[in-house]
Formats: sequence, C-alpha cells, structure tokens
Amino acid sequence: MNKLITALLFLFTSFTKTEFKGYLLTTNQGHVSFFSHTAVENIQAVNNQVLSVIDLSKNEIAISILMNAFVFEKALMQEHFSTSYMETDLYPKATFEGEILGLNLSAKQAQTRLIKGKLTIRNITKDVTVKARIEKKNGVYVFEGDLDILISDFKIKIPPILSPNIAKNINAKFKFEYYPDEK
Amino acid sequence: MLNLNLNIIPMKSSVFNLVNIVLTISLSFSSNAQSLLETLEDKFPESSQYTLGTFKASRISIGHSVETRKKGVLEFQSMTRFWKVPNFDPKTRSQSLIADKINTRFGLEYGVSDRLTLGAGGTTLFGVFDGFVKYKLLQQRDDKMPLTLTLLQGASLRTMGGTAKDINFTDEFSDRVAITSQILIARKFSRQFSFQVAPTLVVRGSNRFEANPNSHFAIGFGGRYNVGRHVSVVSEYYYQANPLESKKTYDALSIGVNWELSDVMLQFQMTNIRGVAEDVFITQTPNNFNFNDGNFVFGFTGIFILHTQNRLKRK
Repeated sequence: MNKLITALLFLFTSFTKTEFKGYLLTTNQGHVSFFSHTAVENIQAVNNQVLSVIDLSKNEIAISILMNAFVFEKALMQEHFSTSYMETDLYPKATFEGEILGLNLSAKQAQTRLIKGKLTIRNITKDVTVKARIEKKNGVYVFEGDLDILISDFKIKIPPILSPNIAKNINAKFKFEYYPDEK
Repeated sequence: MLNLNLNIIPMKSSVFNLVNIVLTISLSFSSNAQSLLETLEDKFPESSQYTLGTFKASRISIGHSVETRKKGVLEFQSMTRFWKVPNFDPKTRSQSLIADKINTRFGLEYGVSDRLTLGAGGTTLFGVFDGFVKYKLLQQRDDKMPLTLTLLQGASLRTMGGTAKDINFTDEFSDRVAITSQILIARKFSRQFSFQVAPTLVVRGSNRFEANPNSHFAIGFGGRYNVGRHVSVVSEYYYQANPLESKKTYDALSIGVNWELSDVMLQFQMTNIRGVAEDVFITQTPNNFNFNDGNFVFGFTGIFILHTQNRLKRK
C-alpha cells in the first residue's frame, strides 16, 4: 500500500514537473545594445547572443549576457571594453533576475509592465525596475524596453584622461523574442 | 513545494520513511533547487572564451608579438632609435642634445582578416625596406588551447651600402635581400604576465665572407608584465645560435615600458639595437648592451590605430 502511494506520488510529481516546463520560454538570440553619448564621442555596442528565459507560471524572468559578445564599431574599443573596463576574465557575464509585475497572459494587445529585479554586473548587484513593452504574436512573446545604468554603480574604472569620452549614464536597450520550449 | 506534499503523508513504517527521504532529496535536486537563471545557463552552456590581449601591440618591444590586427584595422608606426657616437670629434660634433644618430622606420600594417596581417616599412639606416605576412594559426582559449601560435614571413631589402665592409654583395637585387621566418608562440599566464618564445630563421641572399653562415638560427624570448591597467613593462632577448664569424655581433636585448591609451600606443625601450628590420637587429647588432656612448640606444615607438571598417555594419 505504502509503495503504491509512493509510486502514485512519484508519478504525480513527475507529471507536475513536465507541466511546469511548458511554462518556460527561452531565447539564445536576445538583443541588448547600449549607447554612451558625450560631446566628445558616441559609443555604441550590440550583443545579439543574449540568453533569456521567462517562467509564465511564476511571472519570472532571467537574463544572462556574455560581455565578450558585445560588438563595437571599432575593434579596439571592444578589446578595451572587455579587458580594461568590464574585466571579462574575472566577470564574464552580467545577469538579471526579476519578476514581471501584473503580467496578463490572456491579453491580445501589447501591454506595458514593470519588471522588478536584481541586475548583476561585475559581481555587484543592484535593485532595478524596468519598464517593458510585452506583446504576444503567434505564441511568441516579445519583450522590449530600455534602462539607464550608472557607471559608478558598478565600479567601472575609467582613466581620468578618457572620462570626457564615456557617459556617466549608459542607456541600454533590450529586445527578446521568446519561443515556446520544444522539449 | 513537492517536498511538502511528501512530508504531510503520515509515516507508518521506517521503510516508508526512508523512501520518503530519498524521494524528497532526489526531487529537490532535480527541480526545485535550481533558480531560473541556473536553468537558463544549463540549457545554453557557454562555449569557452578566447584569451584577449596576450600582448597589446604587434611588437612586444623590438620584435614581433603573436598579435595580429583585427579586420579593417590600419596601423601607423614610427620606430625610432637614438644613440651617441663615442669619441666623436668635437669640431664636427653636432649640437644635438639627445643623440648624435637617429634611425627611424615608418611602417604600415593592415588587418586583412582577424588572423591575417600584412605590413611594410622603410628604415633610414642603410635604406632597408621590409615587408611581412603574419598569420595567427592558433589562438589561446580557456580549457581548449593553451597557447597562441602565429607564423611570420618577412623579407627585407638593403638599398644603401655597397662597401667592402658589408657582409653581403650588392650587385644584384637578390644579393640585397634577407628572408626572416618566425614561429611566434605565446601564452598569457595571468592577467599580468605573458611570455613568448620565437624560433627564428634568417637567410641572407648573398654572402661576401665565406666564414659566415648563410642562414642564421635564433630564438627570441619576450615577456610582458602589466604594472597598471594601461602600462606594462616588457623585455625581449634574441639568442643567436650561429652568429656571424667575420665580425663580432651581440645578441639583441631590450627593456622597455609600453603605454596604451585609446587608439595610441607608445613604447619606450632601452636597448643595444640600432636597426629595426628583424634580420638586421637579430644577426647584425655590432654593440653590446651597456650604458656607454655608442652602445646605449634609446628607442621610441609610436603606434596609431585607424579603424577603416565599422564592425557594427558588418554582417
């Protein structure tokens, strides 16, 4: 009898587990770009290989950004960004974990929602709230938005001679298209 | 959540209890312990990363480094050596403050692809023109590749000279040519320290003195240590296995500081070499390294980098 209960329980739990998986939507081709505007120069970088997952059962989102994958206009900028500023040998990734507040799964139109969570860059974690435009098209969720990041929040060291070239406040844009998990 | 489901079942026997515990542990390992971020990173495991910046410039100090220029990058170089002439006649002596003699090489390098670089330059001393092809065959990569390997094939042409003291003939074009082949092998050991070994073969087009070997084998050793985020201390030494016999030559040595800022790189050297082309400084350095007039050479290299392609527009 006990064995039967255990077996049933096991079946039940494994069933709920697969059901839970169906709520996970992922992408490995998310877009994140950032822009630094100063009077001296404008610097732009694009990363089209950002990983992200949303869990529609809990309205949660996670993002993992490989810092070496940012492409700049100039090859040397990319090298300096990785080696001198982000120190990607020590901190290869930036991550975000958060909760989508008030997400309406049945909405037909685009909805604007706040995402509240923790942004980690260079092992420094900050609480951020981001406004995102969320739209569902043919079963594909599209998340789009932007946020401002203060360089000083993440202890990014910029040599004094170059400080006029790099904005104190970096504007980052993101766009993720989530396809249902095939497994 | 699942653990709770199991635990509220009344425990009737110790066997059931044990099964319950095992189940709870296995289930909590299989799903609940994982955060959403961990789930994501498990699904898309990252590929290993290439090591960046083994050296910062295409030269460590006096010789080539394993680094090649990225695609579309054009590099302008001026490499200058300053030295004094010993026991110079005071009547004819120039009033120069820093040095009696100057040798400069102006050069250009262009990245055809991220791995292939072409370069050319001209040196004022002996009118040496040189060109080279450099190809990065292997690149150091986390876990997968322990070192970077770059092949260098260079040639130089000496357009001045023609005296009986020259080690080569100067009649034909081919007499004035020297071919330099290098295998540059380097490893970035830590964020600060990189080291390079460079087996080198120099073949001269002609030989005026029979005692001299036509081909010279040398091994270059070069190191870089970062002392700041933009400043590094570098040193290079070239050991000659079979030097010239007709005159005394010394191994090339350099100790220097490199400073990098944005698109500009400045390299300062204390060295004994006056020439800039590889075959000249590796096999034909007539003076030893010390601080006497005539032996001590101060070197200064300025490198400016121009990007001719916008990588954001590249597909």
